[in-house]
Amino acid sequence: MSGAWQWLRRNALLLYAGVAVLYMLLPIIVIALFSFDQTSSGKLDYRWSGFTLDYWKDAFSDDAVNEAMITSLQLAALSTIVATAIGTLMALALVRHQFRGRGAANLLIILPMATPEIVIGASLLSMFLIYGIQLGFTTLFIAHVMFSISFVVVVVRSRLIGFDRSLEEAAADLGAPPLTTFRTITLPLLAPGIVAAALLAFALSIDDFVISNFNSGTTETFPLYIFGVSLRGIPVQVNVLATLLFAVTVIGIVFVLWQQQRAERMAAVRPEPEPAV
Amino acid sequence: MSTLRRRLVPYGLLGPGAIWLLLFFAVPMYFMGEMALRSGSLDTGGFTFTWEWQNFSDALSGSNEQLVRSFVYAGLATFFALLIAYPLAYAIALRAGRWKLLLLFAVVAPFFTTYLIRTIAWKTILADASPAVDVLQFLHLVPQDGRVLATGGAVVAGLTYNFLPFMILPIYASLERMDVRLIESAKDLYASSTQAFLRVTLPISAPGIVAGVLLTFIPAVGDYVNALLLGGTGQSMVGNVIQSLYLQQRDYPEASALSFVMMLAILAVVVVYLRFAGTGAFMGDEEEAK
Amino acid sequence: MRHSNDSAGRGRAALLALLALIAAVAIAACGDDDSVGGGSDSGTQVAKSGPVKGEITISNWPAYMDTGKDNTVAEFEDETGVKVDYVEDVNDNAEFFGKLRPQLEQGESGGRSIFVVTDWMAKQMFDLGYLQEIDHDDLQTVFANIRPDLESPAFDPERKFSVPWQSGLTGMMVNEKLAPDVKSVNDLFDPKYKGKVTMLSEMRDTVPLVMKADGVDPTEASKQDWLDAIDKLRDAAESGQIRRFTGNDYNQDMTNENVVAAIGWSGDTSIIENPDVKWRMPTEGCILWSDNMVIPKGAPNTPAALGWMDFVYEPKVQADIAAYVQYVTPVDGVAEILPKLADNQLIFPDAQFTESCSTQPDPPGSKEDQQEVTEAFQDMITGQG
Repeated sequence: MSGAWQWLRRNALLLYAGVAVLYMLLPIIVIALFSFDQTSSGKLDYRWSGFTLDYWKDAFSDDAVNEAMITSLQLAALSTIVATAIGTLMALALVRHQFRGRGAANLLIILPMATPEIVIGASLLSMFLIYGIQLGFTTLFIAHVMFSISFVVVVVRSRLIGFDRSLEEAAADLGAPPLTTFRTITLPLLAPGIVAAALLAFALSIDDFVISNFNSGTTETFPLYIFGVSLRGIPVQVNVLATLLFAVTVIGIVFVLWQQQRAERMAAVRPEPEPAV
Repeated sequence: MSTLRRRLVPYGLLGPGAIWLLLFFAVPMYFMGEMALRSGSLDTGGFTFTWEWQNFSDALSGSNEQLVRSFVYAGLATFFALLIAYPLAYAIALRAGRWKLLLLFAVVAPFFTTYLIRTIAWKTILADASPAVDVLQFLHLVPQDGRVLATGGAVVAGLTYNFLPFMILPIYASLERMDVRLIESAKDLYASSTQAFLRVTLPISAPGIVAGVLLTFIPAVGDYVNALLLGGTGQSMVGNVIQSLYLQQRDYPEASALSFVMMLAILAVVVVYLRFAGTGAFMGDEEEAK
Repeated sequence: MRHSNDSAGRGRAALLALLALIAAVAIAACGDDDSVGGGSDSGTQVAKSGPVKGEITISNWPAYMDTGKDNTVAEFEDETGVKVDYVEDVNDNAEFFGKLRPQLEQGESGGRSIFVVTDWMAKQMFDLGYLQEIDHDDLQTVFANIRPDLESPAFDPERKFSVPWQSGLTGMMVNEKLAPDVKSVNDLFDPKYKGKVTMLSEMRDTVPLVMKADGVDPTEASKQDWLDAIDKLRDAAESGQIRRFTGNDYNQDMTNENVVAAIGWSGDTSIIENPDVKWRMPTEGCILWSDNMVIPKGAPNTPAALGWMDFVYEPKVQADIAAYVQYVTPVDGVAEILPKLADNQLIFPDAQFTESCSTQPDPPGSKEDQQEVTEAFQDMITGQG
């Protein structure tokens, strides 16, 4: 009995993590489940009436969903790259440099997070119209970058604070120019923070509804599409696509990691060639 | 590098972001502020600028109940999110090895399905007659003749769930740089697990905790969708009032004024919190954090 | 490196901030106008007719037309050569208005030639000067085939600016197994259904139905009648009798039986996959409304827009739409083409079925009175006051 208890204590954290991840993925499990549900109207009803693969066979038959999904993915990818780049630079400035206007910069970063989305959306719309900017992908891109910057800055900053500068100082002592140090030492060490920030920015963009609604013109993003069809029933293809997206990405990541593992094992087996002296 | 160039570096780094935010946030905010001081009505002559400071006091007095409720709900959601997120972030940062990326993706994956769909999924799981609710009733977490949906609890649960990634990611980012050997050395020095955690791990993750709390609390206060879909009339938050003022009542001045009131209240709470948490953990003054 | 704490530094910081503020104000002030809102001043304008060609963009509600292959749009394109961009971006009247208003103020429509909004929203837009008028001579098919009871509605007696797309009935959705005795909207206030009842957040559906159940004719009710009904709703909401006020998300609640009776729209029966749930006509009658095609000011290619309106009023074309949408079709002569659906009272209601129904009313009185009633209802929904 004590053996089991010991095992439990040692692995309590991992068990908890497993349960927590399960909790986070619960909606996705339900979504995946109901992509196989038989319905009489082709629309989701969340009452299990039997197993069917019909919707999986016609997964890409609804043009509107596909287009909306692709638009959202493009928008999210683009705005994530730009917001993460801009935000990382800002975080570097704020943590590592003393300069006038730090307080104002901090305020400028916090305020967008505190502003209700409908007000940001409506105000941006008015502004775009005054400047004569055509509503559509461009305005969506501008808006998405705008609201993501704050989140990126805060996340990257939390990684930068308490960052051990000794490695960078060592590089400088060895004569490396600042840009090289930044590229080869700072950036890789900062990477987990940047990745975390990018993930957050991507999630924010692909999920945004209110601000996008106001500034999209007639362009349709995935959340806008979903909100529209929810009025008269969501086609089951939506569930299929969501599950597909999730599954493909998981498989992709697993594949990449597996390749990594293989590469490492191969490198371990083959001895390193002796460097020519 | 010359001193002048060195002095300009931070401005160069700050530049793109500052310009973007000034152009596309500060300017719209100016419009909003200007609208907040207008009076009139859309249908009868439009809104004219009259320095109508009364909009602010009207907004505050009319919606103080929703304001308070928003802070309470957001505070509870932040608290629960922190409890749930910290161990998970720890596990991903320090125990997951090469599977980090996969787990991080799993944390963010629900967002790919859009808010509406994952809320519909939750409403299916937590329907009045569902097995999940039966279990909760069995555990006496829900009264026997009660329900989960359309209650304050549902709104807080929705907020917590939807903001979890905002809490997990920054804590992960700051924990990940910790060298696990620090804990081992602490234990070598006869520290207990708890002491090792409190003296080593917690301080290192402090910036992440502060970041996570801010990224969760601040947007949660202004949220409206969770209260809209998971709550009833008694659960309305400030965001719902602002939506109603803007869309249904078309009272743009009061909607803008209420938004400002809410933002100021949030800022006040944030300032108090940062004083308590130590601004070093947020601003990162290099001297303070060391 | 110097800190910004010395007074000279702080002075300079303040100056910089001031400069930035002035710059922002200058940019913003470029596009300022003295009064926002109040409607467009450009006066009435009649939609120009002409040869039907070119391209148009139509904004409609979701699922109001089959968007699959060989749909109505494709037929129109084949027949006239007009290229149509059919967009389903009207999700909610207030929301659509909210995002389009800034453009409509300037006389722009965002490229749309037609959009579809409910009666009351069409009227508000027209009163604000955002819509063009339509000449009946340009719409021969429409006014030859329009159902007689839709020819002269209260909100647009001469059909100057609106042409119905589809009509609908607001009544009750009832789970016949769990709430068989719910026959009137007053039954929704029965304590035995406490917490299992929802009503619509659409004021012009919920309040008139509540008034009707208490014997008040909503088209002739006074402002006080409206406010009294809202008080009744507030009490029911505060006591927990009414679970929530919903958009159409009551459908999920009814499917999984969280809710056993609700105020709901006739066309939603097809999306509630619970065989026990049926749309019921309240004993006191229902509310009739239409979603209307309107032509905004600034609409490009109005001849093609008028052509589209005429096209969808041909019974053969309308039959496809009616069969798909399953709401009430505004065109006469379609029932004969769809014998299978002809008996469905929710698509082809006969006069007897709708005899106690009222058309969807606006709150009475001046704009200020309407604003007062709207505010009272919204305060009730957000739990204020």
